[in-house]
Amino acid sequence: MKHKRYLALGAAAALAVSLTACAPSAPEPGESSSSTGPSDETLSIGTTTDVVNFNPVLGNSRTDSWITNLMYPHLLSISEDGTKEEHVATDWGYVDDTTGFYEIRDDLTWSDGEPLTAEDVAWTLNAVKRDQAPGTFYGQLGNLDTATAVSDTRVELTLTQPDSSIIDEIGFWGVVVPQHVFEPQGSIAEFANDGSDGGWVGMGPFILDDFQVGQHYTLKRVEDYPLVDGGVPGPAEVVYRVYPDVNTEILALQSGEIDVIANALPPAQVEQLSNSSGLQVIEAPGLGYAHLVYNMEKPDLAKTEVRQALAHAVDYEAIRTVVLQGQAVSTGSSALMPVLAKYYDDSVEEYEFDPEKARSLMEEAGYTADADGVFPISFRLIYSLQDSVTSQWAQLVKDTAAEAGITIELQGTERNTYLAMTNAGDYDIYAGNFAIMDDPVTNFALSYLPGGAINYTHVDDPELNALIEEGMVTFDEDEKISIMREANKIVHEQVYDNIMYTQNLFFAASDEWAGFISKPSELLSIVNPLSLASAHPVE
Amino acid sequence: MSRASFILSRSGRGLLTIWFAVTVTFLLLRLLPGDPALALASPNMTDEIRATILEQYGLDQPLLIQYGLCMWQLVQGNLGISFTQSIPVLDVLLQRLPWTLLLTVTALVLTIVIGIPLGVAAASFKGRFIDRAVQVLGVTGQSLFVPSVAILLLFVFGLNLGWFPIGGAYTNNTYGMDWYLSVAQHLVLPAVSLMLIQVGSYVLTMRSTLIETLSEDYILLAKANGLRGRRILWKHALRNALLPTTTLIGLQLGFLVGGAVLTETVFAYPGIGRGIYEAVTQLDFPVLQGAFLMLAVTVVVANTITDIVYGYLDPRVKTS
Repeated sequence: MKHKRYLALGAAAALAVSLTACAPSAPEPGESSSSTGPSDETLSIGTTTDVVNFNPVLGNSRTDSWITNLMYPHLLSISEDGTKEEHVATDWGYVDDTTGFYEIRDDLTWSDGEPLTAEDVAWTLNAVKRDQAPGTFYGQLGNLDTATAVSDTRVELTLTQPDSSIIDEIGFWGVVVPQHVFEPQGSIAEFANDGSDGGWVGMGPFILDDFQVGQHYTLKRVEDYPLVDGGVPGPAEVVYRVYPDVNTEILALQSGEIDVIANALPPAQVEQLSNSSGLQVIEAPGLGYAHLVYNMEKPDLAKTEVRQALAHAVDYEAIRTVVLQGQAVSTGSSALMPVLAKYYDDSVEEYEFDPEKARSLMEEAGYTADADGVFPISFRLIYSLQDSVTSQWAQLVKDTAAEAGITIELQGTERNTYLAMTNAGDYDIYAGNFAIMDDPVTNFALSYLPGGAINYTHVDDPELNALIEEGMVTFDEDEKISIMREANKIVHEQVYDNIMYTQNLFFAASDEWAGFISKPSELLSIVNPLSLASAHPVE
Repeated sequence: MSRASFILSRSGRGLLTIWFAVTVTFLLLRLLPGDPALALASPNMTDEIRATILEQYGLDQPLLIQYGLCMWQLVQGNLGISFTQSIPVLDVLLQRLPWTLLLTVTALVLTIVIGIPLGVAAASFKGRFIDRAVQVLGVTGQSLFVPSVAILLLFVFGLNLGWFPIGGAYTNNTYGMDWYLSVAQHLVLPAVSLMLIQVGSYVLTMRSTLIETLSEDYILLAKANGLRGRRILWKHALRNALLPTTTLIGLQLGFLVGGAVLTETVFAYPGIGRGIYEAVTQLDFPVLQGAFLMLAVTVVVANTITDIVYGYLDPRVKTS
C-alpha cells in the first residue's frame, strides 16, 4: 500500500512541477517599459481587439491603425469639414493630368536619427505597389505608375491615366515607412515588423516599446515631434489595454483603470456616460454612412418603381431617433453627406416615409396586393449580427415595409458569412454601413461603376458612368463638385443607393485629461496622433 | 487486466479520441460559411489578392489534400502558421496557455475545496435547513450564465468596492513579488466566476452519492458494530462517494475550458479561451485547430488520469 502512496505523491509532485513550468513568470525590471519621468503621466487607452499586424501598410483592424498611426506618419490629415489638410506634406496637387506631387516638411527625423525624406515616401509607394501589399493603402494605388523623389522634400507621382482624386487619397490613406529599415527585409507585404529584430523605428509622437498580446501595448514618448505645439508630446507613455467586452471596458474607464476608450460608444451608453461624474464625452463627426442597397440583378429590384417603393417604405426619422438615440444626421438620402461640406447639395431631399406612396409605386410596377393588402413578393435583407445598430433598424425596416404591403425577410448572420454573401451578391437587399467615405469621386467609382469593389447594387447606368468618369479627370474643384452633384441626383432619383444617415460618434475619456483634438471618423477621433500628442493631465 | 495494459488501453483510446477531435474540427472549420481571406485584407480587395492569400495558406487546395497536409504537419509537431498574426500557432498558444492553466486550475481547486465539503455537509444534515440551503445554492449555481456573473462581480467588487482590478492578468510595470501579488489579485474574480458556475454540480453529485452510500449495508453494519458517525463518514463512506465526483472532475474539465472562453473574454484575461474567441471572429483556422487540439489533449489526458485514479480507488474497474 505504501508504494502506492509514494507513487501518488510522485505523480502530484510531477504535476506541480509541470504546472509551475507552465505558470506565468514575473518580468525582470528593464524587460518592459516603465515611465520615463516621475512628473510625466501615462495615458491609458482601452480597445476591444489586439493588434493583428504591426506593419502599417498591411494593418486592417482599427487597433492596428490606432497604434501604427502613432509611429508612421500619413502625408495628409482631414479637417472637420471633410477637406484634406496638411500633415507631413505641406503642399500637394498636380503638375499635369498624369503627374501629381507632394512637398514634405524638412524637419522630420525617424526615431533612430535618420532624416525622413522624399525618398522614404517614394520608396514606400513603389514597394506597396510592387509587392501588392493587401490592404486599403494598396487599393488606392490603382492608377499609380511610379513615384520618384525629385529632391529631399518633393515626390512626384506618374499616373497611368488622369485621376483627380489619387493625390488626396494616397495622402490620406497611405503611410510613410523608413526605407532603411523596411527595404532590407525584402517584400514589404511579408515583413511582420513585430519588433523582434531590434524594436521599431518610426516617426510619430510615440514609439512602441513593449507589448504583451492580450494585455497591453506600451508606446513611449518621442521627445522631438515637430508636428505638435511645443514639439514634445504630452503623455510620457501611451498604453493601449485590451478589453474584448465593451461593458468591461466601460467599467474600466469608470474605475479609473483606463483614461480613454478608443472605440466609439454604443448609442445607448452615450447619455449615461455624459452624466457620469469624472468623465467627459467628446463628439467626432462621422465620415461614413449607413445604407440599404437593392440588388438590381434580381428582376423585381431592377424596376425603378420597386426600389422607389422600398425607399418610401422606411421611416428614417424613427430609426435615427429610436435606434441611434438622436446621434445621427440625415444626409438627405444622398451619398454626398453634409460632413463633406463643399460637395453637399441641400436641394436633394430625403425620401419621404409614405407607405401609401410605396403601395402606388408597387402597383405602377405591375404588382397587385391580395385581400390583406400584401403584395405577392418578398425580399431577403442581409445584415451582420455583430452590428448591433443595424440589427435593430433592420427590424424597423421590415415593420414599416409591411405597412406598405411589402414583405421583407431578415437574414442576420455572423460577420464573416455576411461579408461572403455580400461578395457573392447573395441578397436582395443589403443593409450595412461604411465607416469612411472621404472622397466623393472615389466613393462613386467604387460604389456605382460596373465592377466597382462595393457596387452592391450592381448598377451599370451609362449616364452615371460618364459623369463619374468625367469627375475622375476633372481637376478644377468647382467643376468637379458640379459634376458629382449631377451624378448624385441620378443615384438619388434611381435609388441606386439608399443612404439613411451619418452616425456621429461619441468617445469617452476621464476628465482628468484635456487637450484632445477630435477628428472625423472612428479611425481618427480623439486617438489620432496629434490629439494624443496634445493630451495633458488637468492641473 | 494488468495495470500496464489498463493504462495502455486507456492511452490508446485517448489517442483515437484526439484524432477524431482533430478531424471533426478540421471539417467543421471548413464547413463554416465565410471567407478567411476577408479577415486578412480589406473586404474590397481584388480577386487577384484574394487568390494570392488563399494560395499562400493552401486554402485553394482540395479538402482532402488540405486534410492530408494538416495531419502530416501535426505528426511532425507543427501546428501551422496563424493566418492573421503570421507567426507559428504553437507560439500563439504557448503565449496564452500559462494564463488559462492558472485560471482553470485555480477555479478547479476552488470548486473542489468548496463543492465537496458543501455536498458532505448537505448529506450529513439531510432534510434539515443546511441541506435545503445547499441544494438551493447548488441548483442556482448550475443555472448561472458566465457573462452575467462576471459583469456582476466586476460591478460590485471591481467598480463599487474597488477591491479587485477590472481586467487583464497583471498591472504593467510591476516586478518581483509585486507582480505575483498583482497576478493573484487579477485572478480572483475570473476564478471565482468560473468556480460559481461549476460548484453546483459538485455539491449536488457529492450530496446524492454520499446519501446513497450512507444507506449501503456495509455502513449499516459498521454502525451496528458501534463505529462512531464521523469515523463512518470520513473513513468508509467518503472514499466510495468520491468515485462519481472523480468522474465529474474529468467530465467537467471540458465545460471548465468552455467557460474560460467567456470568462477570459469578459475579464480581458489573455488566455487560450479568449484566443479562441478572437480566432473565431477572424476565421483564423490554424489557431482554432491548434487551440482545439490543445483542449482535446487536455481533456483526454484529464479523463485518462481520471480513469487511472478511478481504477486506483475502485480496483473493480480494471477488470471490467
